[in-house]
Amino acid sequence: MHENGIGKTGEKMKSMLHDQDASARSDAGIIVMSMFFAGLLVVAFTTSPIASGTQIGERAPFFTGEVYDGNGWSSFEFEDLLDTSWTWNSTEESPWIAVEFLDTDCGYCKQSAPDVGQWSEMYSTEQWPGPDVIFIAVAVEFVADSSRAEIIEFRSQYNNNFGYVDDLDISIAKEWDVSATPSYFLVQPDGIVAWNSNQATNSLGWDPKEEASTSLNGFDDGYVQLNEAIEQLTMLNRGD
Amino acid sequence: MNEYAILSIHGAIILFGAFLMTPMGSGISSMFHSRYPSTTTRRGQVLAGLMFVCLGGFTVSAQTLWMHNKLSEGASVCGGDTILNCDGLIGNTAYNTDPLLDQPWGLIGMVAFTLLLWFVITIAKEPMSTETPLFIKGGLGATVAGLPVIALLVSYEIKEGLICPFCTVAHITNVIALIGFFILFKMYESDNWAPELKKSSRK
Repeated sequence: MHENGIGKTGEKMKSMLHDQDASARSDAGIIVMSMFFAGLLVVAFTTSPIASGTQIGERAPFFTGEVYDGNGWSSFEFEDLLDTSWTWNSTEESPWIAVEFLDTDCGYCKQSAPDVGQWSEMYSTEQWPGPDVIFIAVAVEFVADSSRAEIIEFRSQYNNNFGYVDDLDISIAKEWDVSATPSYFLVQPDGIVAWNSNQATNSLGWDPKEEASTSLNGFDDGYVQLNEAIEQLTMLNRGD
Repeated sequence: MNEYAILSIHGAIILFGAFLMTPMGSGISSMFHSRYPSTTTRRGQVLAGLMFVCLGGFTVSAQTLWMHNKLSEGASVCGGDTILNCDGLIGNTAYNTDPLLDQPWGLIGMVAFTLLLWFVITIAKEPMSTETPLFIKGGLGATVAGLPVIALLVSYEIKEGLICPFCTVAHITNVIALIGFFILFKMYESDNWAPELKKSSRK
């Protein structure tokens, strides 16, 4: 019965390919396919889409949340930090963004917290010749139960003066594909990820001029730290 | 060019087609009579109207795909402080692709309207074919299948508190196409499909 049904459908399809109306269907098919590909070509030639993601060269996903800046919790939009008109040869000094994902119960996060606090001040001083770098910490809950009180305590314990975003429900971490802490990202002013500490070879950074990855040389162990990535990438096309 | 000026071009094509599908469109259809004699019939008018509607749906979908790509580059194409804002929806990575194939909604719209246009052109070329009811039902089914998709996209708009005018025009176009295919379905079931032939005498 079933085979008979399939057979009938097959016969019908066969007759549709050869009957006298087949040319009407193929003519219509040629017309609409031409229109479809013409539409696709127009879109393809007038745009240059960039994938959203957290690998270098991708557009960092936007996120919103509540941030603690030392005075209290307020709303935060990652998009507000960006300058979408920025290019590698912009004369304006738009700030870059360093994003750190941390867990207040993670040992490595505690270990690196003083350094990160120091860098956040160092890269916004007059002595630093490059563009300012805004630091943002995204506090997740991977290891053990955490709370906003713990986030506030952690921030003040290490004298960090930058904002801590509440991501205890790890929604931002999921969107940024972060599964371990600490994880660091350096984002260009236009929102493109320039460096990702989780990427297989983190000695690779994004060159906006060449629109390709570039090697961050000079590190014997092949492991690049956030400050080293900042120093190389923000200064990459200076003087061109 | 202002984005709403471009949107009005898409809207004009769709409204022209929708008007042609109505009984009042017979006056307008007279301009096609000499070049396309089939438009002298009510069936021809509805099919011609549907072609314009599907064409408008296709072009507005192509524009949303263009916007999707432009927004990924970091541009602003239809932003603003009002409730009418495409950037917040087409540029929102949480909503701007379909959950199954992960493709931009604009591309899905282009494919859907291309399929509908293929049904319409095929029916218009061979209205007396034995496969005509299959294509009418195909168009009707495809436009009905578009309704839950539209509901999903409207739910995103409600969630974000924004309205994307380009997306809304594409959604309305799907509904107009549904009505058009329904008119064709009813017409085929009656003697109005080919008044010169009774339904029972068609091949």
